[in-house]
Amino acid sequence: MTSATAGAAPAVAMRSITKRFPGVLANDSVDFEAREGEVHALLGENGAGKSTLASILAGLYRPDAGEIEIHGRKVEFHSPRDAMAAGVSMVHQHFRLAASLTVADNIVLGHRGTPWLRTNPATIDSHVAELAKRYRMPVNPRARIWQLSVGEQQRVEILKSLYRGARILILDEPTSLLTPQEADDLFETLRRMTAEGRTIVFVSHKLEELMAVSDRVTVLRGGRLVGTVVTSETTPPQLAQMMIGREVVFAPSREARDLTGGKVVLELRGVSADGDLGIRAVNDVSLAIRAGEIVGIAGVSGNGQRQLAEAISGARARTAGDVLASGARLRNGDPEDAIARGVAHVPEDRLGTGVSPSLSVADNLILKSHRRPPIAMRGVLRRDRIAANARDLMSRFSVAAPGPETPTRLLSGGNVQKVVLARELSSQPKAIVAANPTRGLDVGATENVRSLLLKAAADGVGILLISEDLDEILTLADRIAVIYEGRIVGVVPRDEADVQQIGLMMAGASAAPTLPPLKPS
Amino acid sequence: MNVNDSIVVVLVSSAIFYGTPLVFAALGELLAERSGVLNLGVEGMMLMGAVTAFWSVQHLSGPGWLVLLLATLIGGLAALAVSIIHAVLVVGLRANQIVSGLALTIFAGATGLSSYVGNVGKLGGQPAHHEFNALNVLGLADLPVVGPILFHQNALVYASWALVLIAMAYLHRTRTGLHLRAVGESPQTADVMGVNVARYRYAHTLVGGLFAGVGGAYFSLAITPNWIDGMTSGAGWIAIALVIFAFWRPEMTLAGAYLFGLFSSLGFVLQARQVHLPPEVFASLPYLMTVVVLVAVSTGWAKQRLGAPAALGTPYVREER
Amino acid sequence: MRIQRRLTTPRWLVVAVPAASLVAAFAAAAIVLVVAGKDPIATYSRLLDRAFLAPGALSGTLVTATPLLFTGLAAAAAFRIRLWNIGGEGQLYLGAVGASGVGLVLHNQPAAVIIAGMIGGGLVAGAAWATIPGLLKAYFNTNEIITSLMLNYVASLVLTYLIFDSRSFWRDLSTFSARAFPQGKPLPDAASWPTVGAGLAVIPFGFFVGVLAASALWLMYRSTIFGFQARVLGDSPPAARYAGIKTRRLVVAMMALSGALAGLGGASEIGDFRHVLDPRGLQQSGFGYSGIVVAALARYNPFAVAVVAFLLGGLANAGYSLQGPDFPAGLVGVLQGMILFFALGGELLLRYRVSFQ
Repeated sequence: MTSATAGAAPAVAMRSITKRFPGVLANDSVDFEAREGEVHALLGENGAGKSTLASILAGLYRPDAGEIEIHGRKVEFHSPRDAMAAGVSMVHQHFRLAASLTVADNIVLGHRGTPWLRTNPATIDSHVAELAKRYRMPVNPRARIWQLSVGEQQRVEILKSLYRGARILILDEPTSLLTPQEADDLFETLRRMTAEGRTIVFVSHKLEELMAVSDRVTVLRGGRLVGTVVTSETTPPQLAQMMIGREVVFAPSREARDLTGGKVVLELRGVSADGDLGIRAVNDVSLAIRAGEIVGIAGVSGNGQRQLAEAISGARARTAGDVLASGARLRNGDPEDAIARGVAHVPEDRLGTGVSPSLSVADNLILKSHRRPPIAMRGVLRRDRIAANARDLMSRFSVAAPGPETPTRLLSGGNVQKVVLARELSSQPKAIVAANPTRGLDVGATENVRSLLLKAAADGVGILLISEDLDEILTLADRIAVIYEGRIVGVVPRDEADVQQIGLMMAGASAAPTLPPLKPS
Repeated sequence: MNVNDSIVVVLVSSAIFYGTPLVFAALGELLAERSGVLNLGVEGMMLMGAVTAFWSVQHLSGPGWLVLLLATLIGGLAALAVSIIHAVLVVGLRANQIVSGLALTIFAGATGLSSYVGNVGKLGGQPAHHEFNALNVLGLADLPVVGPILFHQNALVYASWALVLIAMAYLHRTRTGLHLRAVGESPQTADVMGVNVARYRYAHTLVGGLFAGVGGAYFSLAITPNWIDGMTSGAGWIAIALVIFAFWRPEMTLAGAYLFGLFSSLGFVLQARQVHLPPEVFASLPYLMTVVVLVAVSTGWAKQRLGAPAALGTPYVREER
Repeated sequence: MRIQRRLTTPRWLVVAVPAASLVAAFAAAAIVLVVAGKDPIATYSRLLDRAFLAPGALSGTLVTATPLLFTGLAAAAAFRIRLWNIGGEGQLYLGAVGASGVGLVLHNQPAAVIIAGMIGGGLVAGAAWATIPGLLKAYFNTNEIITSLMLNYVASLVLTYLIFDSRSFWRDLSTFSARAFPQGKPLPDAASWPTVGAGLAVIPFGFFVGVLAASALWLMYRSTIFGFQARVLGDSPPAARYAGIKTRRLVVAMMALSGALAGLGGASEIGDFRHVLDPRGLQQSGFGYSGIVVAALARYNPFAVAVVAFLLGGLANAGYSLQGPDFPAGLVGVLQGMILFFALGGELLLRYRVSFQ
């Protein structure tokens, strides 16, 4: 941690930045400042405006009001290129990489400094390799992006900025897709960069991380600046309070319950499945979920969670193993069968998969029940029943929308999820597979989703909760399993859960904590 | 009998002869598609090229080679002008690319502008004043086998070969070519990296028009040196299929175009040799072949990362600034 | 120019924009006509006259509008759910082959039987031809634009083969002149589809069938399970799979439906108008491609398709009857193209909010 020379202009100064989008004031007269050689965190919930502010700094958006100064010089960015010319570069959460081009191609793309005619492609490759070595971020310049792991792709993103001599790097939720080990490597790299006098703006909502890596933290809430604090002088609860604006009561744990006697509603026996690229993504997973139980599967994104959920619900064909719903074996790769047998699925991508976005709310509420009475009789849809169903569910689940005929894509994320849950829960399932159900939702919507799941469990539904949010699993689950590279590497009851050990399992470091430690003889 | 009169040699050199307009049109469409723009108006653009090139050849005076050069260029430019409509609609106004391309074919094709120009200019039923004849390159036209095939073709054939080489170098050895590939793969990425997506799409759609026009000119100036309404008979559509066939790679358009050319000439050649099979069988082979190859290309392994610009056919909108 | 996706499209715009584009198209075409040395007002009034007003014009327009109605419905049915069936042309040809074949086979039967048979033959043949690209798309993910397109050419060659290069069942080999100048076997009188005289116009049976088909299509999308599943599939294939919809079968079924509609158009061509399998006539008409234009202008609404087919049929009809040195062929295509260009341009205003800075 370094400090800037007193009196010198800060590397970044943003004053009174205001930005409005249709229906929302994303930034309301926000001030932000970052010094040379500093890692400055931007903290806030989803929708607090931190990504917008970062995007403005990166030249992606133009502010409606306010000004920006880089190293004391007033600037106006009309495009990311202008920002780049001023030495500001952004590494996005969702990488902006062209999948079928090579690493070197991606790094060099758009850079006017490289010669127009490449008589010998190997020269660029070696430049790139050299740069990568200097920062100890090894990559193969000739590899295609789709061949790389997430961590490697992020390295390419960072190298893009370094290749262009960026002095100010903005990282948007950089660790959301990394393993703990990869995250540590990233922090190492960041320290190396700040030691050279570069400035890092680190956008995140993960408190523990920010405490570990940043020098100062700026908190935004509801589009407004709450305050800027020095990291070493603050604590997570204090930051959380600034972020949320009220005393945060970390959710009370559920009562430990004895569920060993309940009926098994969903059972996986040796389930394996392949991913989109043909490589094994789910590897011999066996698990049993009883009525009323919530089994959580923790893991870093990209370890087979999505494929597992799809293999259970039938959207993806299994290459091995069986899924049994209340004892009956589900037909492989047949979502209709799973639906008919009472297995509900709340998918990760709610707008892309969970609903048909242009169809009305009413239509989406019958998305799975449209085949049978009372909604359909002899091939014909009963529109009156559809409308009645929509009115009923929208009121029971408090779906906020102009009306049942509203196209679903117009609803907020929280309300879309309500539609999905309303539909899944009202089908009276025996088991629910919920994948990242609260991702991207604000606090209120998250609470709502969690309480609906808890209520379902209380009513005897077995829930398989797959989540990348460890806190969520610790709060809701009765038993916690960890998935790593498609395998379940450990299962613990909640009251025996050791966060550190779970973190290690998530990173693939150890196995089978269900066995008691050996006593010394 | 001279080996150069053998059926194989004749077939191969005819294949090259008849396949050349396809090379031009496919190369042009390839570049447009690499930028993410699908242009189904190739047939219409080729017909515009054919009619305007023919008109030029009938009305311009001067040394033969100059007139032909100008006529070809004018044909290309006429098609380019027409392609501007598609570019503006699709890139500027985010219109549906399929419908726009079809509209272009209707507008400019055999029941549209090219027919209008041909009829108003009374271009039918007269032979061209100049035509592209086979050249004797380096005097080697009589070499066994390679003579007729490589050294006895017309100027546009050689131009097409040069164009393919240039296109290959362009795509993989220049910065602009890299930008083009990025625009077609991931316009969001290209945009963020400072590449002007719209400009690349406009430019390459227009180049596609230019090349299609030259391909069309080939019909009225080299294949049948006169003008008939709708004389390309669907070559534009084949060119579109050819691009896919060729995995969006310039060098492969040569192979594909000559294969198609082969089948076009096979019918005539065999009939001349008293082989009796309905001409429709041969005529349908290229189309069926395209379907078969497409099926093979679109299953599993090839589908994944082997060619199609990922953003082909979708408009790019960067919504807020 | 700044554009922003609209969340919803105000009702009045949905009507105003297409109307305005039509006006703009005719205005632009007027400029073209002036440049070509023709009087636009005179040209337009002649077109209007020959399309709708002159004696016999309405009937003539219906002759052209009927096949456009079918191919328009075929395209609308498929395009609405993002199945790009460009093969309406070939499916119509095969429908004509099927219908004329049945008509010839059943030549001794009473009219009702023959006509029913012809309708069936057209439906089945068109559906079968469209099933090929449908299967390839569903099971091999092969791009249906190209496959359906390629099959258009094959279908055209089949037509040519049946009459010009073979001694097939469809070919008239009864007289010396028929053998020398290839032509199709004429269908029996009973195979002529009835017409309804309605004062100003003679309405072909096919037109009624078409309107019926339009209604059925509309109902299908609105109120059947099949239609619902198709809408979901067209909107979001992942959501359709998630909902347990058998997407592959659905794709094939929808393509078959689209092909059946085009095939019906082919049957109508034979039964209502030509009464013989006439390859050249069918090949030169280009109904399949024009149907796509109709569907796009009608924004895939079945009833709008009927209206647009009628209007464009009028334009085409006027074009044919005016054709001559004074009114060169090709003008109709130019006009059609321009109408479509302006309509496409207008789409932007419907989907996005445009502002200038």
